[in-house]
Amino acid sequence: MKLVFKFLENFWSEFRHYKTGIVGLSVLLVAILIVLFEGFIITYKEAPERWRDITYWQDNSASAPPVWLNFFKSKKSPITENIIYEDIEIENRVYKTKFVYDFNADEAPLDIILHSMITGNAAFNIKVTRPDGTSIVLFDEYYTDLNNTDLRVSLFNDAKTRVFRFYRESVSAIFRNKLDANTTSPMFVLFNSKGNDMALEFIPLKGKYIFETEATFSENYTEEILFENPYIVAVGSLSGLLGTDNMKRDLFSGLVIGLKWALFIGMATSFISVIVGVMYGIVSAYFGGKVDVSMQFIYQLFIGIPTLPVMIVMSAVFKPTIWTMIAMMITFSWTGSVMTVRSMAMQMKEETYIEAARALGARHKRIIFSHLAPLLLPFSFASMALAVPSAIVYESSLSLLGLGDASIVTWGQILHDAMKGSAVLSGLWWWIVPPGILIALLGMSFAFLGFALDKILHPKLKTR
Amino acid sequence: MFLYFAIKRILRGILMFIILMFIASALFNTVGEKTLISQIHDMVNAEVTSLTDVKPEDIEGIRENLLEHYYKLYWLDRSVGERIFIRAINTVTFNFGRSTIMTTSDGSREVINIIGEALPKSVILFTTAAFIQIIVGLFIGLIKAKYAGSIFDRSTSIMTMIVYGMPSWWFAMILIMFFVYKINMFPSGGLHSIPLQTGIMYYIDMLWHMMLPLSTLVILGFWGISFVVRNIVLGTLQEDYIMAARARGVPEKLVLFSHTLRCAAPPIITISLLGLLGSIGGSIIFEGIFSWPGLGNLYWVAVQQNDIPVLMANLAITTLLYQFGLVTLDLSYGFLDPRVKSGGKQ
Repeated sequence: MKLVFKFLENFWSEFRHYKTGIVGLSVLLVAILIVLFEGFIITYKEAPERWRDITYWQDNSASAPPVWLNFFKSKKSPITENIIYEDIEIENRVYKTKFVYDFNADEAPLDIILHSMITGNAAFNIKVTRPDGTSIVLFDEYYTDLNNTDLRVSLFNDAKTRVFRFYRESVSAIFRNKLDANTTSPMFVLFNSKGNDMALEFIPLKGKYIFETEATFSENYTEEILFENPYIVAVGSLSGLLGTDNMKRDLFSGLVIGLKWALFIGMATSFISVIVGVMYGIVSAYFGGKVDVSMQFIYQLFIGIPTLPVMIVMSAVFKPTIWTMIAMMITFSWTGSVMTVRSMAMQMKEETYIEAARALGARHKRIIFSHLAPLLLPFSFASMALAVPSAIVYESSLSLLGLGDASIVTWGQILHDAMKGSAVLSGLWWWIVPPGILIALLGMSFAFLGFALDKILHPKLKTR
Repeated sequence: MFLYFAIKRILRGILMFIILMFIASALFNTVGEKTLISQIHDMVNAEVTSLTDVKPEDIEGIRENLLEHYYKLYWLDRSVGERIFIRAINTVTFNFGRSTIMTTSDGSREVINIIGEALPKSVILFTTAAFIQIIVGLFIGLIKAKYAGSIFDRSTSIMTMIVYGMPSWWFAMILIMFFVYKINMFPSGGLHSIPLQTGIMYYIDMLWHMMLPLSTLVILGFWGISFVVRNIVLGTLQEDYIMAARARGVPEKLVLFSHTLRCAAPPIITISLLGLLGSIGGSIIFEGIFSWPGLGNLYWVAVQQNDIPVLMANLAITTLLYQFGLVTLDLSYGFLDPRVKSGGKQ
C-alpha cells in the first residue's frame, strides 16, 4: 500500500509539470462533477426517462434557438418560461389562482399554455388583465367526470375567438375586417398595444399580464375533488440554454444526459479492452512457443478486421443495446496494446527475479499476476486514456446511422436526429454544433491526459 | 529473399481473408437468411397476385413451386453447415448474388456491379486526400522535430490533441452548413452536377464537388501524421550517428533530410498508412454526409434499406481492401528497411 502511495506521489510530482495534462484532468473532473449532479443541472427533470415521450415536450417551442441570443439582438425575443402561481384561493369548492407574466420582449410569445390536475365536475375559466387595464375572459368551459386529468388549455387554439372579439371591440368600425383570422396569431393581438393598426403592426404592450383562473366545482360529484399543481408555460421563440430540436426537446438537458453515457461508454470500453490486451500480451509472451504462435495468429486475425464497418453491419443485423455495443467495441479494440506489452514482457520474463520466483516454486498464475502484470499495467495507462475518444466516436458514429440503443440518450443520437430533421439544411446550428464540440472536447481532454502520461512513461519523447 | 518474404506475406493475407469470411458467414447466416426468407415470401406473394389467367385452385401450387424455386436459388434447402460453407465460398470468389432492393445507375441488381460502381469513387477521394495529408504531415512534422519545444511545435501538438477525438463527419456537417447553405460556395454533395457536364467541364465540375470533402479530410488528417513524424524523427535525432554526423560538420539540412528521414521512413510510412487504414472506418459516415457515392455511402444506404446482400458484400470488399492495405504495409516496410528483408531467412 505504501508503495502505491509512493508511486502516486512520484507520478503526481512529474505529472503536474504538464499543463495540457492538467487541463485534461480538470476537464475530466468537471465532467464527472456534472454527471454526479446531473439531477440539479438539467432544466427538464424527467428528461432522462422521457426523452422520446412527445407529450412530455409538448409545451416547448420547436426548433427554437438558445435564449442567450437575446444578448446580441436589438429586438428581444420572448423566451419559454414556466410561471408558478402567485396566489391560490380556495373558497367553498371554488379554486382561484393568479399568475403574473412579465412580458418584456419585442415579439409576441408563440402560445400561453395552462396546466392543472383536476378531479371532479368543474366549470373552468381563464381571465387576463393586460397592463393597460383591459380585462378579457379568454376561456370558459364546463368539464364533467375528470379523474385526476391533466387539463391543458392552449390559449393559441382555445382562446382564438375571444381574443379576436376583443380586437373587434378595440378598433374602430372600419378596421374590424382587417384581421385575417386564419393567419393572425391570437397572441399577436393579445400582447399588442391597442390601436387601429393592431392587426397588422406589432407594438408590444410591455408589463405585467395577470392571468386568473377560476375552477368552480359542482356539488353533484360524490368523490373527493382535486385541484392541484396549476402552472402556466409562456412559449417563446427562444428556449433553453442550448435551444430545442424539431421535436421540442430541450437540447441542454439532452447533452447533459449524454455526457454520462459518453463517459461511461468511453471509459468502460477502453479500460476493459486495455486490460484484456495487456493480459493477452503477457500470457502470449510468458508461455512462448506454441501458445505464442497460436495467440499471435488470433491476434493477426483481429488486426485484419476493419472495426467500424464490421460494427455497423453487426449493429444493423443484431440491433444492439448499449451493453452489447460496449461488448462489441471491446471485442474489436483490445488489440491496440498487445504488441508493445508482449515485447516488454518478453524481456521481463528473462529477468533474474522471475527466475528466482520460479525456482522458489511460484506458479504461472502467481508470476503473471504478481510479478509481470503490476509492472506492465502502468505502461498501458496512456493507451487507456487514448482509447477513450475512439470509443466515444465509434458509439456516436453508430448512433448517427440510427443504430444506437433507443433507451438512452447519447450525443450521437442527438446528431442522428439532427441529420434526420435536416438541421444542416435549415441551419439549426445549435442542434449540430454543441454535441460535436462536446465529443471533441471530451476526446481532447483524454488525448491531453494520454499524451502527458505517454511522455512520463516513455521519457524519450521529451523535448531534449 | 524479399520475394520469399513477399509471397509468404501475401499468402497469409489471403488466408486471413478467407478465415474472416467464414466467420462472417457463420455470424450473419441466421439473420441474413431471415430477411432473405421474408423478402422471398413478399416477392412470391406479389408475383402470385399479379397473375391473371389462372384458376383459383392452381394458385397454391404455383406459390409452392415459386417458393421452392427461390429456396433452391438461395440454397435455403440445404443444411446449416452447407449453407455457411457455400456462402463463404461465394463471398471469397466474389459471387455475391443479387441485391434485394438497390440497383446500379443503369439498373443492374448484381451486387458485384453495385460495388464496382462505388469502389473507384472512394479510391479517388481517399487516395488524393491521403497523398496530400502525408506530404503536409511530413513537412510539418519535420519542422516540429527540428524546432522541438518551440511555440510552433507546442501549438501544433495541442491542435493535434484537439482534433484527436473530433469526429470527421461532424466537422463535415459544420463545413457543409457554412460553405454550402450559408455562402453557397460548394455543392451540397454528390459527385456531379445534374445534368452532366461534357468535355473538360466534366472534370472541373467533379473537382468542384470534390473540393469540400477533400479539404475536410486534409484539414483533419495531417495533424496526426505530423505528430507521429515529429516523435519518430525526434527519436532518431537522439541516435549517436546523428551526433557523429553533426560533429563531422554535415549541414543541418542534410542531417535532417538524408540521415534522419531515411532511417525514420519505415515507421513513419507504417504509422501513416495504418492511420489511413483506420480512416476506412470513418469514411463510411463521412461519405454518407457528403453523399459521395463511394463504398461508405453504400453502407449508409444499405443499412437504411436493410439490403443484407449488399451489406455483406460491402463488408467483404472492405475487409479485402483492409487486408490488402496491411500486406502492402508490410511489403513496403520490407522494401524500405533492409533488415526486415533478410529477416525471412532462417
